[in-house]
Amino acid sequence: MNATVIAIFVFIVGITLVITYFAAKRTNSASDFYTAGGGLTGWQNGLAIAGDYLSAASFLGIAGAIALFGFDGFLFSIGYLVAYLVVLFIVAEPLRNLGKYTLADMINARFNAKKVRGAAALSSITIVIFYMIAQLVGAGALIQLLFGIDYIWAVLLVGIMMTVYVLFGGMTATSWVQIIKAVLLMVGTVILSFLVLKNFNFNILEMFTQMKTATPHGEAFLSPGVRYTIPLDTISLMLALVLGTAGLPHILMRFFTVKDAKTARSSVMWATWIVGIFYVMTIFLGFGAAAFVGSDLITSTNPAGNMAAPLLAQALGGDVLMSFISAVAFATILAVVAGLVLTGASAFAHDIYGQIIKKGEASERQQMLAARYASLGVSAFSILLAIFAQSLNVAFLVSLAFCIAASANLPVIVYTIFWKRFNTTGAVSAIMTGLISALVLVSLSPSVMSPEAGAAIFVGDPLFPLTNPALLSVPLGFIGGWVGTMLSKEQDLKKYSEVNVRANTGGFRQL
Amino acid sequence: MTKVITGDKANDERIGEKVTHERLADGTPDFQKIENSEGFRELMRKKKSFLIPTTILFLGLYLLFNIVISYTDWLNASFIGDITWVWVFAFSLFAMTWILVTVYMKRAEKFDEMAKDTLKEFDYDEEENR
Repeated sequence: MNATVIAIFVFIVGITLVITYFAAKRTNSASDFYTAGGGLTGWQNGLAIAGDYLSAASFLGIAGAIALFGFDGFLFSIGYLVAYLVVLFIVAEPLRNLGKYTLADMINARFNAKKVRGAAALSSITIVIFYMIAQLVGAGALIQLLFGIDYIWAVLLVGIMMTVYVLFGGMTATSWVQIIKAVLLMVGTVILSFLVLKNFNFNILEMFTQMKTATPHGEAFLSPGVRYTIPLDTISLMLALVLGTAGLPHILMRFFTVKDAKTARSSVMWATWIVGIFYVMTIFLGFGAAAFVGSDLITSTNPAGNMAAPLLAQALGGDVLMSFISAVAFATILAVVAGLVLTGASAFAHDIYGQIIKKGEASERQQMLAARYASLGVSAFSILLAIFAQSLNVAFLVSLAFCIAASANLPVIVYTIFWKRFNTTGAVSAIMTGLISALVLVSLSPSVMSPEAGAAIFVGDPLFPLTNPALLSVPLGFIGGWVGTMLSKEQDLKKYSEVNVRANTGGFRQL
Repeated sequence: MTKVITGDKANDERIGEKVTHERLADGTPDFQKIENSEGFRELMRKKKSFLIPTTILFLGLYLLFNIVISYTDWLNASFIGDITWVWVFAFSLFAMTWILVTVYMKRAEKFDEMAKDTLKEFDYDEEENR
């Protein structure tokens, strides 16, 4: 760790704290805390969505995966991007039109039943916790590498920063940390891509030709199949990615920070361009790292390839660029975990405390207090979990979060908006079937049980063959919702008319 | 004139007598009537005739891509030089996303207009009720 790293690092942390200070002054109500008062513009929210979505796993993980596995490393990005069409076409506008702070609000716009809200809060919390542990474990490992401090201190550092942002600055601070991070990340990636392309004489064809001989994989580097060799496994994983984004509670929550469906829509447009261009550039980062750093050095620094991008910065731009990229990676982690804390807190404080326990009658002051206590609780709990989960595989946790989001949240969202006959029993059974089947199938899968000692958590033959169960658990979520609905006679066509009109016109928001 | 009930006291007092809505006896708007109105049904027809085919298209192409690269090596043939079809298909999925988003943004403006007209027909003023 040298002086430049420390200076850039302190500078970025300083900016985020200044933001938090000003955000704190403007955070006076529950609406400010959860949605920044609902006043973000399309491009602001678009950048914030990108900042929320592009985790360290995307930046460092995908660049590293492309460097080590070529095309297969890039494969995830396709799913991560196409997923935004599901968000835009199916979820974003009805969510904005029906909801207030959380996904449960939107579903409850139709059912107004405690058990539905409870189930939705439970699945949100589960997803947030898996995603959060993944981010914190990744962050800890990364900061340990970047700054040479112990894993525990690294997790605590990130944990304390995220708690400060959320506790004092709520959604306003979180959004602006995400926006700044997205800008920094794009700047860093553009600089690196430019340097890589310059070294390939700005000739894409030549770059591909050189990559054929630059890695131990030879020509296979440029084709699918280096990393993912089991067809059904790949398809199942890719299904989780494309459907999961539209069910990730921390992404859904971002749509409540804008004033109407039109702005929600334009924020998805901004996010799609930013995220897409970023993923295209990760190809240059990955290829560049493979060609100019070399897979030996990448894997000896970190076996998962997470250090490929910083090492590339070192190779092409020296210490200063390396420091900048490391600081960007740090900002990336902070922005994502802050969004997760806020989402977890909203499920506890708004859904469970405010709506279920207090029946929606908590005073503004009680709501704010609950939101802050919940933020503290969620932060402390996830820091603790992350400290003990150091050895868990980060990519596995993230793909599990996507799988639960696709299985437990997407079916209930789709049914709530589109299915007339859908009812309370159906809503609870859709969420619970998706959630439980995803969790049970994963715990029987090769990710958790492997005959090889040390390869997974338990030793033994996996009872379920797919590492990511989305191919089965998503249909189960939909079937669960259908069966539950049919088993109960209850239906409320009048209420559906209301939801249908409000979701599609954006009118009658005050109801 | 019907008294407006929006569930928000301050708001009710603010808009007071200015806006009239068609209301049922219990004070809620008649959503079934709006849902069955020509304007709303036309909006839903237009929306569905765009969203259903495009959703099938993009999910279909996406799944097709994953199935083809998982089970075959058809896309490993050269496109230009050492760039193979797999990169072309992958990038097409990126382009498809951007194109569909852009097209939808245009369409949605029309949907917004239609929704606004429908609401107006039922005496609901968006700005007043924000």
